[in-house]
Amino acid sequence: MSSNTDFEPKIIAFVCNWCTYAGADLTGTSRLKYATNVKIVRFPCTGRIDFLLLLKSFAQGADGVIVSGCHPNDCHYTSGNFHARRRWIAFRSILDLMGVDIRRIQYSWVSAAEGSKWADLVNNTVADIRALGPYAEYQKVADYLEKEGYNEEA
Amino acid sequence: MSKIGVFICHCGENISATVDVERVAREIGGMEGVAHAIDYKYMCSDPGQTFIKEAVKKYGLDGVVVGACSPRMHEPTFRRACAEAGLNPYLCEMANLREHCSWVHEKSEETTEKAIDLVKMMVEKVKKNKPLDSIKVPVTKRALVIGGGIAGIQASLDIANTGHKVILVERDPSIGGHMSQLSETFPTLDCSQCILTPRMVEVAQHPNIKLYTYAELESLEGFIGNFKAKIRLKAKSVNYSTCTGCGACIQKCPVKKIPSEFNAGLGTRTAIYVPFPQAVPNKPVIDRVNCNYYKRGACKICEKTCQVGSIEWDKEDEIITEEVGAVVLATGFDVKGTDFFPEYGYGQYKDVLTGLQFERLASASGPTFGEIRRPSDGAIPKKIVFIACAGSRDPAKGIPYCSKICCMYTAKHAMLYQHKVHDGESTVFYMDIRAGGKNYEEFVRRAIEEDTVNYVRGRVARVYEKNGKLIVKGVDTLLGGEQVEIEADMVVLATAGVANCGSEQLAQKLHVSYDPYHFFAEAHPKLKPVETNTAGIFLAGACQAPKDIPETVGMASGAAVKVAALFSNDELVREPVVAVVNRLAPPLYSTCVGCFMCETACPYNAIEHEEIKGRDGSLIRTIARVNQGLCQGCGTCVAFCRSKSIDIQGYTNEQVYAEVMSLLND
Amino acid sequence: MKKLRDRAAELLSQGVVSLVIGYEEGTKRPRPLFCRNSEGAEKLIFDSHCFHNLAVYITKKELVGKERFAVTAPISTLRSIMQLYVENQLSEEKLLVITVDLSGELREFTTFDEIAAYVAQFELKRGEREQEILSKIEGMTREERWKFWMEEMSHCFKCYACRSACPLCYCSKCVVEVNRPQWINPWPAPLANMEWHINRAMHMVGRCTACGACGDACPVGIPVDLITRKMMEDLAPEFGYVPGQPAKQGNALSSWKLDDREQFIR
Repeated sequence: MSSNTDFEPKIIAFVCNWCTYAGADLTGTSRLKYATNVKIVRFPCTGRIDFLLLLKSFAQGADGVIVSGCHPNDCHYTSGNFHARRRWIAFRSILDLMGVDIRRIQYSWVSAAEGSKWADLVNNTVADIRALGPYAEYQKVADYLEKEGYNEEA
Repeated sequence: MSKIGVFICHCGENISATVDVERVAREIGGMEGVAHAIDYKYMCSDPGQTFIKEAVKKYGLDGVVVGACSPRMHEPTFRRACAEAGLNPYLCEMANLREHCSWVHEKSEETTEKAIDLVKMMVEKVKKNKPLDSIKVPVTKRALVIGGGIAGIQASLDIANTGHKVILVERDPSIGGHMSQLSETFPTLDCSQCILTPRMVEVAQHPNIKLYTYAELESLEGFIGNFKAKIRLKAKSVNYSTCTGCGACIQKCPVKKIPSEFNAGLGTRTAIYVPFPQAVPNKPVIDRVNCNYYKRGACKICEKTCQVGSIEWDKEDEIITEEVGAVVLATGFDVKGTDFFPEYGYGQYKDVLTGLQFERLASASGPTFGEIRRPSDGAIPKKIVFIACAGSRDPAKGIPYCSKICCMYTAKHAMLYQHKVHDGESTVFYMDIRAGGKNYEEFVRRAIEEDTVNYVRGRVARVYEKNGKLIVKGVDTLLGGEQVEIEADMVVLATAGVANCGSEQLAQKLHVSYDPYHFFAEAHPKLKPVETNTAGIFLAGACQAPKDIPETVGMASGAAVKVAALFSNDELVREPVVAVVNRLAPPLYSTCVGCFMCETACPYNAIEHEEIKGRDGSLIRTIARVNQGLCQGCGTCVAFCRSKSIDIQGYTNEQVYAEVMSLLND
Repeated sequence: MKKLRDRAAELLSQGVVSLVIGYEEGTKRPRPLFCRNSEGAEKLIFDSHCFHNLAVYITKKELVGKERFAVTAPISTLRSIMQLYVENQLSEEKLLVITVDLSGELREFTTFDEIAAYVAQFELKRGEREQEILSKIEGMTREERWKFWMEEMSHCFKCYACRSACPLCYCSKCVVEVNRPQWINPWPAPLANMEWHINRAMHMVGRCTACGACGDACPVGIPVDLITRKMMEDLAPEFGYVPGQPAKQGNALSSWKLDDREQFIR
């Protein structure tokens, strides 16, 4: 895993509009720099984020995923983040049982005031995923149709 | 195939300095479904918007993507431009090339490539966008004002004077707030109560204002224009419809030693009490914690005294529901007590006071009738020390901010002291003098020059008691850090202004944000200072941050105008970002199977049961339906729906799926 | 057995119900029986081999019709019936539930609460097979688990027997049939299979009653029932429910607690 210095991980961030998206806006207004690897998809609320989107991200070649929203009690919609938190507890449990690498999904709370936390979160996640390397294990399976077929020894 | 127009903004050099905007426009121009792609210096400018409008018409665009700043900034601008050109505004999306790209990355190939990806993502989204119509909801033209200090009073009067009904809720038995406790006000030294009490009376008598004192907000449901407020009317134990406010019961109450909140603990009150003589309403409540009857089951002297039989022992808290269209939060602030300061004696020394306590000493209606006397022995202090920035601007104390009012009121206190104790000597320890405001600097100069207040720039390290004196040890930083020691008779701390107790819980009840110090958060620090992030809830006064009276009154009037503007329409036009349950032709009707998981998940009770009936009236199925007035568009239900039968407009499954796919398919 | 047959015949002949769903002898094991008259009721059996989950039929409107009907339900079926009540899929007036208790006595239920009170005395335990496979999985590293499931998933050919057997998969349009967008590819491939089974498990959070019908139905023997079973076991203490005992107050996933775990959230 040490030969991953050239590896630029692809990371998708699923964030809520009111806290983390605004927090990332603040990172910009504060001109704090972070890695270019992360692209943000905006949702009204973490409660809206479908777990299937996370699976699809990995299937389509993402090496890591960030999911971030409002801190507990700060949800613009009162409880969307609490619902999301539960959903992620269950989702992690199932993924872990199936052997999916849950270290590649980074959950966070970043408020609209935490511009620097967002920059740190991105940079740390990029570093973590870089250390883990490409998620070839999952993508190999995803490529099944293009390649010959699933071969566990390949 | 789609005909999408893409417009890449340079934002002066804000974007173009790190992103090769021409390349972005060029590459996006080659995308499938993109009919037109250009870059321009300022897309939000008039000529920039004209480019968009003309392109919509010229190319018959069915979607627009503007790659510029955050959609939180200019989405409305560009959507309006599209609408003016005849394109449904919800077919316009923004790619955030500034806050999420050019400002956070260095100039590089990767930065430009990320910009291209971000625009691509939005192009793919727009391909799936559908024209939407805004939603109209009725507006209840009645406002709820929470907090009856000067902010709440001003906001209530201003709203009421526009002809709309106001419900004013105050936690204490009387309105008036902190302003009613003040002696004189800076920079004019006019008596605080003289200018406030007429307003209080006006509130009580205003035909459009319904006043609930000794009441608190229990819960708030609903949304802008249509809130339902549950208000707890705490049991006063006195029937206000019969009570004449004669005050006989107060005279006779045997429990007399309760520290008076109004006098900041310097005076006492009885268990049945009116907080202060000019209280509105001027009728008593029974403090059940201290009343002999409630404590021990015997006494009832007030009941015997009362000529009209107004005492209601068994009265319980009552919860009422009011429907309102807007809420003004005016819950004010609090000041730190002297016990917050170990270095100044932990509140153990009786003659170390807070600024608010000094106000009560200086007030003609105070415990000493306006004479400055020591709480310990009643002597007139001959030497007095004022310490500014007690707690404020002190990150070590967790209060890094400036409390804003202390410089001015400390100058006022020193001045009042000098006016009342002619042979007295006053010293003010300060960090900086912040006297920004009309006639403020002149006021401080007057204190220093005319009233000979001794201003020492430096901090006080310690205050301790010795032989009945308070030894104040500090440094004078203007004299090279020279040690200063003063034997004072009284020390007044300009303690930090902090968020009022319970503000965090209240914010959570109302779903408004708050800052790390629990002051309520405004929607924008400059451009939306009285709005909160929750539509229909506004801020007034020191609940947002410490501020003085003129500023508070200004803000309250500002909030009132926002409310009046909201009430000027019979209907409110809302963004159509709401959930919808799919409907299909019979015999399917919908893919919804009616498990109603969405109903339990919805924070707004927006899910209703819709019964689908056959021609004979028999029930075929029960499916979910979204009440579009209640739905706020969080989309939590969408992620729950197993059969994907419920979707949210503006962030549909198709849209977000297309976005994610576009980011990864190289 | 006699009592059950008599009672069923009585219910049918008196017109109390128009259909009794139960079991009859099959070639290898008991199979479902749908009797609409008292003669049919003569074939009814009820013993410990009757584990086919009959609850799967009671949401099928074309089968049960509009009249009141009865179902003979062993514990696993009772659990599913309770969950269906919670999810607004059954009405108490329309369904008569019959079971035979441990002492061989006939018991009838018409409400959710009656069933809940009865089911409460039965604890959901792992059987020998479940214990064997689950303890094997529990001993694996993450990589080994991935490999294990990938190997299993490579056999899946998307017949959706697991879905058909599950009483709680009653959607009229399953997510795999939704094609705007096409969330899960319809063809059998390890990834699409994996996505389907993860999706199925997520849809079962707080709902699965661990009846094992899905695993039982799998023609290639993938232990799909253990995914949802293990998920239920792991999450139950955390979300505060008892596995196999559905509670009326909402679903574990559509409710939340202020102090839900969040150490994994940065």
